Amino acid sequence: MVFNSYTFIAFFLIVLVLHNLPLPWKVKKINLLVASYIFYAAWNPPFILLLWLSTVVDFFVGRALYIQPNKHKRRVLLVVSLIGNLGMLCFFKYGGFILDNFVHMVNALGVNYHPAKPNIILPAGISFYTFTTLCYTIDMYKKESRPVKTLLDFSLFVTFFPHLVAGPIVRPPQLVPQFETPRTASRRQLMEGLFLLSLGLFMKVVLADSMLSASADTVFNAHGPLPALDAWMGLLAFTGQIFFDFAGYSTCAVGAALCLGFILPQNFRWPYGAVGFSDFWRRWHITLSSWLRDYLYIPLGGNRHGKWRTYINLMLTMLLGGLWHGANWTFVAWGGLHGFYLWVEKFFNDRKERARLSTGMEGGMVVSLSGSAAVMAKPMRSVTGEISSPILPARLSSINRSGWFYALFTFFLVNITWVFFRASTFGGAGNILGSMFGVVHGGTPLLTSLAMVKIGVIIAIMLILHWFLRNSRVLELAQRLPWWLTGIIWSGMVILLILSQESSSSFIYFQF
Amino acid sequence: MVILVIAVIGGWELYLRHRGVTISYDNGKELWSDKRAMVYEPPEKTTVFIGSSRIKYDLDIETFQKMTGRHAVQLAVEGSSPMPVLEDLGEDTAFRGRLVVDVTEILFFSMAPPNLERPQTDLAWYKGRTPAQRASFVLDRVLESQFVFLDRDFMSLNDAIANLKIPDRPGVFVFPAFPMDFNRTNFERQSKMTDHFVADTSLQHRVQNIWVFLMEMGKHAPPPKGDPVAMILGNAKKAVDKIRARGGEVFFTRTPSSGPMLGGEMHVFPRDKGWEPLLAATRSKGFHFMDKPATAHLICPEWSHLTPSDAVLYTKALIAQLPPSFVTTN
Repeated sequence: MVFNSYTFIAFFLIVLVLHNLPLPWKVKKINLLVASYIFYAAWNPPFILLLWLSTVVDFFVGRALYIQPNKHKRRVLLVVSLIGNLGMLCFFKYGGFILDNFVHMVNALGVNYHPAKPNIILPAGISFYTFTTLCYTIDMYKKESRPVKTLLDFSLFVTFFPHLVAGPIVRPPQLVPQFETPRTASRRQLMEGLFLLSLGLFMKVVLADSMLSASADTVFNAHGPLPALDAWMGLLAFTGQIFFDFAGYSTCAVGAALCLGFILPQNFRWPYGAVGFSDFWRRWHITLSSWLRDYLYIPLGGNRHGKWRTYINLMLTMLLGGLWHGANWTFVAWGGLHGFYLWVEKFFNDRKERARLSTGMEGGMVVSLSGSAAVMAKPMRSVTGEISSPILPARLSSINRSGWFYALFTFFLVNITWVFFRASTFGGAGNILGSMFGVVHGGTPLLTSLAMVKIGVIIAIMLILHWFLRNSRVLELAQRLPWWLTGIIWSGMVILLILSQESSSSFIYFQF
Repeated sequence: MVILVIAVIGGWELYLRHRGVTISYDNGKELWSDKRAMVYEPPEKTTVFIGSSRIKYDLDIETFQKMTGRHAVQLAVEGSSPMPVLEDLGEDTAFRGRLVVDVTEILFFSMAPPNLERPQTDLAWYKGRTPAQRASFVLDRVLESQFVFLDRDFMSLNDAIANLKIPDRPGVFVFPAFPMDFNRTNFERQSKMTDHFVADTSLQHRVQNIWVFLMEMGKHAPPPKGDPVAMILGNAKKAVDKIRARGGEVFFTRTPSSGPMLGGEMHVFPRDKGWEPLLAATRSKGFHFMDKPATAHLICPEWSHLTPSDAVLYTKALIAQLPPSFVTTN
């Protein structure tokens, strides 16, 4: 089920009531687990078997990995877990893609091979829960945390409904300890949770679905050339849509968990206020970027084997990160473009660093992904109770006014990457880019003046907020405002949410 | 916060009711799917209707159900060809019912993607409905039956913003908006014009202008590839044969149109080019509104759909023409 549906409202009210009844903690956890399975099965009940399989296998393999003294047996166990998890992901998500590419390859070699198209349905959230269970077994292999004590706690860790289908991607130390002691939300947590839930739904339903999605679809579904204005506005509409859609989901997830007394990691932190691309990846889908860093980039060698290996590792991480988003070469191109941006940024940062060392000046303001890998730390609990990511920027306060220009430049380049993310073919991406930069001429105007006004106003406000609030947290801001103003803003969001009357469309990231 | 939300939404609801706005259900894929699932009801108790918008206005479901004692399942979709639904029912081995197909020739004999898109979307939604979507529909139905402001077609935030009427650049295609009074949809998917629409000729002219706009658009559309009429006749025959082979029955009806719309339709598809070949190809019986005095001179205020009172007359005439197995419960 999706957060933006009547079913979820009814479901969540029942879960809230059950969770606040005077029942033993174990019973409450069983309630949450059953509710999470219902939440998942409400899409496609048979796929719950995959979730069970993944949970049970990784629980027992994880425990065995931790206690097994024999190095070779531990490696075998790890391989079993990797094959199980990644094999499932490859079959369901990449099966058709792999077959398509194989057919293209053999056809190019002159072999006349045309198999039937496989009809594989992608189980919702498989990319997310696979990463959740994978990080557990890898942690057990590396003995970086202790095994989860009970199957109930592990099942709840994997299946907990707020994060199950589209993240945030949680690590065992972030969530499992919260299941070990009884907890319900305090009155303040409940209010904050409901506020975040309203904000997330407002972002998804009002801004992404009601205001921006139609314009983005119109432009990206166009088959011929477009006027440059339409191409740019359609792209900006998608830039806003993808943020409000995915950040909206994450905000709902954090809010729903908070209403039940659980704290999930933050997944977005004003990403369009980023100065540079490593900063962008510290702000966009934070739990994925930190997962890729810890379980892909660092195991590949990170920045420990010289400059060129660092560049290669960086690019591989971004290419695979792109492929994680979808079984299409356009996603790989999207990741590759981000990898290229990070390369360029690293090149200039390295040069700057060398200059700094030679003159003894203070370092540059941007810390690259490779640089941040070297200073990685465990997730930390902030004073407000929110778990912060270890890769949040440390020197943002040093950003001066010229940062506004760099932030806009970063935003411009990020926009270019979204073309490959949204277009389903390279031809489509080429058409949009060609139209944007005047390479392709002609085309009929598609977007109405009203649509462009909506896009312009929303994107302008979004950019201003992302820049000026770039070091703030939403809840801290809400607490700082006078109660009546918070109340009016909250009411406004709920009223617009009710009036928008958008149907319960899926979140974009569900397809990943 | 709660008080402010209730005050604003409650005030909006009261204002709309004061203006005379009535309940109208969201005529989308969810409601269509709910009705699509009803085609498996016992054939002796249910008659299924497919087609374009005309049958949605012209069949008065209450009259039909009262006179025949049978359940009328309305599956017609506005602005589209019924062929995707007819073919789907032909392929559906569980369907053995009584099927009435409304024919608006310019849509029925069209293979243009825009005329097929909505029924195809509805069918895809019906076949892929999740348990959560079904549950949401049930809850939504309860709310829609109580609140006038829950009308996605005319009362959504986007509609309110659209009233700003900002002029567009030259060349931008904007589909003209139908007035709200032209279409109020009930839970059985019957469309009705309001009394205000029936009385207000300026609103009727607005809709007539939309038909003129669409007809002009049709004139500039690229010519179809091949012979769509022959292809559609073939596909219709296949679907009808399959339904009949399972014990089902199919009947065609040509619902009324009038004024320049009727003239234009008869020019493009005279009876011997559309209606009669269809009945011959499918070996079916049908009821053309021109064939009976009771319906031949019905006037559609905006040239294409009947008023609620004339829909009752038409429904009675249709019942008289339908074979007994479509209108009796034996």
